[in-house]
Amino acid sequence: MSNYKIYTRRHFLQDVTLGGGGLIILGALGFRIFKDQERNLIKAISIDFEKCAGCRTCETVCSAFNNPITIDGEQMNGLGNPYLSNIKVHHFNPDVDVPVTCALCDDTPCINACPVSPDLITGRKALYRDNNMTIKNDIERCIGCKQCAKACENLRGGIIHPNPITNKPERMCTLCDGNPSCVDNCPFGALAYVEMPIDRDLENLAPAKIAEKLIEQLYQLNV
Amino acid sequence: MAIKGYYGKLLDINLTTGEIKKTEIPEEDIKRFIGGRGLGTKILWDKLPNPGVDPFSPENALLFMPGPFSGLPIPSSSRTCVVTKSPRTSAINTKYKHGSTVSYSNMGGFFGPEIKFAGYDGICVTGKADKPVYIKIEDDKVEILDATKFWGMGTEELDNALIDELGDRKFESCYIGPAGENLVPMACILNTAARAAGRGGTGSVMGSKNLKAIAVKGTQSPKLGDHKKYLELLSQVRISFRDDNKDSLKWWRYGGTANALESSSKNGTQAVKNYSEGTYEEIEKIGTEANREKVWKRDFACFSCALACKKSGIAKGSYSVMVHDGPEYETGTMLGANLLISDLTGLQKLIAVSDDYGIDIISVGNTIGFLMEAYEKGIIDKSDLDGMSLNWGDVQASLEMIRKISTKEGIGEQASKGVKYLAEHLGHDSHKFAIHVKGHELAAWNVPVNSDYWSITYATSNRGACHMNGGSPESQDLAALRDSIAACSFASSWYKEELSYSQFLSVITGLEWTEEDFAKAGTRIFTLEKMFNYREGFNIEDDTLPPKFFENKFTVGDHKGAIVNRSEFKRNLRDYYKLRAWDTRTSKPKDETLKDLDLDFTIA
Repeated sequence: MSNYKIYTRRHFLQDVTLGGGGLIILGALGFRIFKDQERNLIKAISIDFEKCAGCRTCETVCSAFNNPITIDGEQMNGLGNPYLSNIKVHHFNPDVDVPVTCALCDDTPCINACPVSPDLITGRKALYRDNNMTIKNDIERCIGCKQCAKACENLRGGIIHPNPITNKPERMCTLCDGNPSCVDNCPFGALAYVEMPIDRDLENLAPAKIAEKLIEQLYQLNV
Repeated sequence: MAIKGYYGKLLDINLTTGEIKKTEIPEEDIKRFIGGRGLGTKILWDKLPNPGVDPFSPENALLFMPGPFSGLPIPSSSRTCVVTKSPRTSAINTKYKHGSTVSYSNMGGFFGPEIKFAGYDGICVTGKADKPVYIKIEDDKVEILDATKFWGMGTEELDNALIDELGDRKFESCYIGPAGENLVPMACILNTAARAAGRGGTGSVMGSKNLKAIAVKGTQSPKLGDHKKYLELLSQVRISFRDDNKDSLKWWRYGGTANALESSSKNGTQAVKNYSEGTYEEIEKIGTEANREKVWKRDFACFSCALACKKSGIAKGSYSVMVHDGPEYETGTMLGANLLISDLTGLQKLIAVSDDYGIDIISVGNTIGFLMEAYEKGIIDKSDLDGMSLNWGDVQASLEMIRKISTKEGIGEQASKGVKYLAEHLGHDSHKFAIHVKGHELAAWNVPVNSDYWSITYATSNRGACHMNGGSPESQDLAALRDSIAACSFASSWYKEELSYSQFLSVITGLEWTEEDFAKAGTRIFTLEKMFNYREGFNIEDDTLPPKFFENKFTVGDHKGAIVNRSEFKRNLRDYYKLRAWDTRTSKPKDETLKDLDLDFTIA
């Protein structure tokens, strides 16, 4: 493989292993917890593209949790229309499915692109990284310039979706208050909420690029 | 205010005038016919007030019907039913030149949910465009657009070309291939280049309207009757899918219906050599393990499904081909065992080419099997086949026949009309091995073993021979219900007791659907279809089986000697009509039966 990486858990394990230094393997799946003094870790959603069957259950549960409705004063999950989901599964032909969600990038090209001046007290632009590492938008200060969405589209997975009316960014992963619904409900075990190196490969997160590589790996059409 | 769980809205498109309407679906119809196959048949009944309409005329309606479960993440419940007047069927004695049955054909994938997301309970297409068109739907915005550049394209190429044209991978679409354009009656409609509304000639009706594709994308959801209770049921059924029937889940993921290739062959229930045998000795060459080892790379699921029974891969060898879904039980049997083809890559090629042309693999495999038998018996020779030989097991000749049928070239012109027509055309008692009921070819489950079940299944199906019909009134009504709510039959074992379909329908609609009401709706839907057929001139003599099953004994396998007993069949059929409360002399549902089912409007 060239300089391109598809971030399956196996590759991740390979990387960490090759990266060396204090790797401890624990847990049922064998690679849940990593302790690494040398490197910074981030806990985010890892996607095993080889296990995904493209059922889009993740989209429906993400949408349901993050778009709750209130009935008789009680707040509960919404219906889960995939349009409102933060994670997106893209179908391709030849058959591969590519789920993509916010990678919580260390270098945050989306925030870098935000032209709103940092708040003097908090240091936050309109788009900012919250304490739990998720990317959030302050809709009061956001001017709806769509620069964050463009940056994500051009440099990462194209996750950020400007609201069609306000142009303000949406679809950044919330991690569902620390217990991501997509991970919990994937019928195929293709998603995991795991720690990963903060300096992982973030250059090739666009669905089409991932699909191209997966198709080449799986079907070897030109061989 | 529509009934909860529905919009109460039908997207009604006339391709002759270009008129696009959003018409209201009467509440009473939703309550009586639910959605999908049931509601589609009611709308068809209303759109075609008179019998004998030519299925290829602009007057015929082509309906794309999701159900109330579609688009909700209820596991394995997002199918779409295509309903229209069949171009495949004809009665033995009818007053009408174009008398034909209702046709309903069901597909998985993602198309049905997206219709719901766009804000409709169904799409109805009538009329005929004056040039090739496709329909683009984005919520309220509906456009009829030029499809000249897509005309002639196979479904494989079109699947990607449409996405390029639309510029958005989030559109879900369904479409026809060249067979549908060429008005090959056995053409089908596909989505995701593989999942097909295969049976009943839906693709040729779409072609007759000059409609190449429908692409849809939406942002909406209906409101539910009891949202909170729905969430509870949903979380329980998800747990059940995770924890219960684990072997079943494993079975579906491992091989899908292809697992049945070997078991059915062993049990003598497989269509082999144009239904002459029930067992194929070389079946393991095209079975699950061979495919797992040599071809399949990935399992794929429909919307919100945990079964992932669709298998994709790459076949390499003499017939290298990208495999989108194959073989499953039907395709592997009809183009494999039924033609004595055990060359795995050859079989994959046959399936892929059929999907690309957009042709019903069950009917085309059955038809080629008929021609192979006629060729073996000397009823036809090379001069009838444009110079071709057509021996059992010949992959190349079968590929050529699929091409000829899909393009109506030479012998393909006649063969495209199926085995009933071919037998009438060829004579020489060939009708005895023309394996169809009402003009619709039988599927991959052979009749003589378990003949009580299969003979009633095929003889009484409302779309002509149908393997999904069910062999008793109860199972038929339940199948009609599943097709109406949009649930997949493969996952029905997870929906029982407090997680039954009627419980879900109750919380979706906020109406109380008792088990009894629900079962009665199934009877109502099945009976409405029967009345549609009766109005078209179908009578008791049409509920029959091909003569071969009464005359041919299996010669190999554990069920050597199996044959259908004609008097037992007649007795079973009579018992069936009695259970249905239908007239045992005519098969017509009695007036009081119709009244009891709120089908008064069908009493002429």
